[in-house]
Amino acid sequence: MEVGLRTAGKSVGRPVRKHDGDAYLTANATYTGDIVLPGTVYAALVRAPLAHALIRSVSTAAAEGATGVIAVVTGEDMIPWCDEIPHGLDAGHLGGHHSAVFPLAVEKVVYAGEPIAAVVATSEADAHAACLMVEVDYEPLPVLLDVESALAADAPILYPAWAENVLIEGHVGNDDFAEVARTAPHVLEGELRTHRGTAAPMEPRTYLADWDAGRQHLTLYASTQNPHVLRTVLAAAMRLREDQIHVVAPKVGGSFGLKMYGSREDFIAPVLARMVGRPVSWVEERAASLLPAAREQVLSYRVAFDDDGGLLALDVEALTDHGAAAPTHGWAMAYVGALSTGLGYAIEHCHVHYRVVVTNKAPWSGTKPFGKDGATLLLERIMERVAAATGVDAGTVRRRNFVAPSAFPYRHTSGLELDSGDYAAALDQTLEILSHERLRADQARLRAQGRYLGIGLGFELMPESADIPGGFVAAYDTSTVRMSPSGRVSVLTGVTSPGTGSDTGICQLVADELGVALDTVSVVQGDTDTCPYGFGNISSRSLVTGGNAAVLAARDVADKIRAAARALLRADYDEPVLIEDGIARLTRDPSRSVSVVEAARAVYTRSYELELDVEPHLESTRTYRPSNIREVPDALGRMQTYTTYPYAVHASVVEVDVETGVVTLLRHVATHDCGTVVNPLMVDGQVTGGVVMGLGAAFSEELVFDDDGIPLTTGFKTYLLPRAVDVPRVELGHLCTPAPGTPLGAKGVGEAGFAGALAAAFNAVNDAVAPLGARLDRTPLSPIAIMRALREARR
Amino acid sequence: MDDDLTALEITVNGKRRSATVDRRELLIEALRNRFGVTGPKIGCLTGDCGACTVRLDGLITKSCLRIAVAEDGAEIETLESMSTNGLTGLQESFWDNNAFQCGYCLSGMLFAAEDLLDHNPTPDEDEIRQAISGNLCRCTGYDAIVTAIKRYAERVAESDRRQ
Repeated sequence: MEVGLRTAGKSVGRPVRKHDGDAYLTANATYTGDIVLPGTVYAALVRAPLAHALIRSVSTAAAEGATGVIAVVTGEDMIPWCDEIPHGLDAGHLGGHHSAVFPLAVEKVVYAGEPIAAVVATSEADAHAACLMVEVDYEPLPVLLDVESALAADAPILYPAWAENVLIEGHVGNDDFAEVARTAPHVLEGELRTHRGTAAPMEPRTYLADWDAGRQHLTLYASTQNPHVLRTVLAAAMRLREDQIHVVAPKVGGSFGLKMYGSREDFIAPVLARMVGRPVSWVEERAASLLPAAREQVLSYRVAFDDDGGLLALDVEALTDHGAAAPTHGWAMAYVGALSTGLGYAIEHCHVHYRVVVTNKAPWSGTKPFGKDGATLLLERIMERVAAATGVDAGTVRRRNFVAPSAFPYRHTSGLELDSGDYAAALDQTLEILSHERLRADQARLRAQGRYLGIGLGFELMPESADIPGGFVAAYDTSTVRMSPSGRVSVLTGVTSPGTGSDTGICQLVADELGVALDTVSVVQGDTDTCPYGFGNISSRSLVTGGNAAVLAARDVADKIRAAARALLRADYDEPVLIEDGIARLTRDPSRSVSVVEAARAVYTRSYELELDVEPHLESTRTYRPSNIREVPDALGRMQTYTTYPYAVHASVVEVDVETGVVTLLRHVATHDCGTVVNPLMVDGQVTGGVVMGLGAAFSEELVFDDDGIPLTTGFKTYLLPRAVDVPRVELGHLCTPAPGTPLGAKGVGEAGFAGALAAAFNAVNDAVAPLGARLDRTPLSPIAIMRALREARR
Repeated sequence: MDDDLTALEITVNGKRRSATVDRRELLIEALRNRFGVTGPKIGCLTGDCGACTVRLDGLITKSCLRIAVAEDGAEIETLESMSTNGLTGLQESFWDNNAFQCGYCLSGMLFAAEDLLDHNPTPDEDEIRQAISGNLCRCTGYDAIVTAIKRYAERVAESDRRQ
């Protein structure tokens, strides 16, 4: 279904290139690590070599005497300077447990790699060298490395005050599976295990903190997704007023969730800078940036369905291997996974019991696509199993269960309310691009020759632009549009862009609303002193929230340009004015016109000629707050906490070498719908990047530990991101169902691609090995895992 | 410590430069910290990501795999020198095709692409993928980079044919 663009303008909807691309190409894009301040000193961290231990003592004397060392700071030393880190979403306030986390560990370490002390020195090399001279006496404690051991009756308790190893648990949907299952024609059960992975942006977390003791003022340059909220939490923990802190997020080298505000790492440089009174630079080493994690779950499911493959009820027990407790939102990925389970399929009885289990690994930390990946993989696995059990084609099973376009608004059992889309149309388009029937014939022919081709589908539905009641994640954001006397337009916005292109999209939107050329518009973001307070980039929100706000603000400014044009043209106050190509014309007599530049100048310089109710400034600040969010729970405790619901149907084609377990990815197709497309170049870039990240998660990216909980994946030789040769060109299809009730009609696209690609690849490999009786119920799909499955099948 | 310091003289983007460097310093660190050249980035320091790629005595290399003092006398070109006479056709093609998002891998990808085209002006898609596989990109999924290189090479071949 091609609905077309709601906002078709001079630049919206067109493949406009990055508005500041030349800065990147000429090495003039400044990242945090490129900034130099005079007198800067460098921090490095002493990290725990054990996954669980008491810190008996820390001896810093030798390190303090080492070359270039300015200070050695232990966890205890830092306490007077920094309170415990404020939680993004405190499980302790939601029926779970509170955890007190400081930038540096105090008394006890709960994961290998946990920072326990910091060295500040005049060079990075000296700081790292001196870290090796800090002597720490540890008393080892028993280590918990998986959910089963952590939940065992005799398990040691990681956080003694809790008396259990569960951070938080909860139910989403009604627990009525047994009742439905009694009369259901079929019931299947199973278990799906997903592995630990991480975001791994190319730029590690990077900070440069400058404390001005005279002014009692902190300037922090940080590779952060949320500069304003970072300022808020820094101020709280460092006992400063927010106006004593200026956070600047320069160009950010990718984030994917890792750079969400409020991790302990956010506090290292600012607190040290204040302690030593000099600018402190801290760059996370690659090995450490592979500690924060996501995705590791054990999902046990029971599903009831009819003879046609129609799902009647679903019950899921979701165990999350969270690792240690943390102040960030990481655990909420388990909750979002529960909220999203079954979303897009019309399942009347859907229940998820989620439990977030703590273990001696680094904590979960926000990672694209924020828990929706596990939910997607689970449902898509179930669809394949239901198809196999009923003999109904896998695509048909999905079609039978999809929420139909006529059913919107459709409230899922979790409370999320789907607003628009045509899932079956996306499936049809994907199958068409694939030439599905011909491919199935090829598959049959090749099987006869002993070659194992697999075709797998994956439907993803991503709730986007999240809102957390009471938390610093909001579905709204704010933008200012300002036009100077010479007609230049600046957009200052609370949203940020780590390269995703929402800034270019915002330029396009504002240029069209104002009827001016694209190159007259620039965007300022990532600066707490100049931009309106905002929530940055998370949850695919930047264009939807900041973009819609900029549209509203630009309309205000355009109204003033119209008023000024009327004044200059001596037209009546109600005379309609059309602005296009930088010219404001009277609609009824287009020969009477002034340029936007003249009109802008007149607003500033001829204010007494304007209509009396027009204030003589050319600026508007507006907040876009979507109307579909419901923070107040209904009688069943359900909320509607997401703004838009983009979706996609993926298909993967693989060949499995059954002698070696090696998978060759032959094709990947994805038909995607993110509503109004502001910039197809940027949208395709988001989807393709997400697909390849999802394929990496499916096949090669896995955080691995030894039996003592020591990470073995400490760099890109062991944590294997996909390289260009590992993946096929992604074939994209497009649909457009604009988001209803929004000025723009755009849906979030930043997390697109990942979950559907993971699911499609998973199903494709299973499809390939099915004729040999093999079945994989865990990720990653490594050659070893595939050989194991094939061996088990032969037994 | 003074023992760790030594003089380094290299040519950076056509200019003879000298600085005192730490013997432990990697070439990428010296370029960024001593010579203020920030086009090459640090992504891993283990030679895996390619963000630090520069041209050294005419050949592309990952500058995190070289000790700075060992390159005394070398001629080094970084992203900074690529657009001395305006953006190159390859750079324009990267921009037109959205071949960089966060931009962190960009410098390395451009050098890898230039090197490929120096040796093989008409590469097919597989050859392009092979050539950029020493460089990691986490944003684009590579397709846009491959397209940018391919379209540029095709345009050059087309204009060569016409001449």
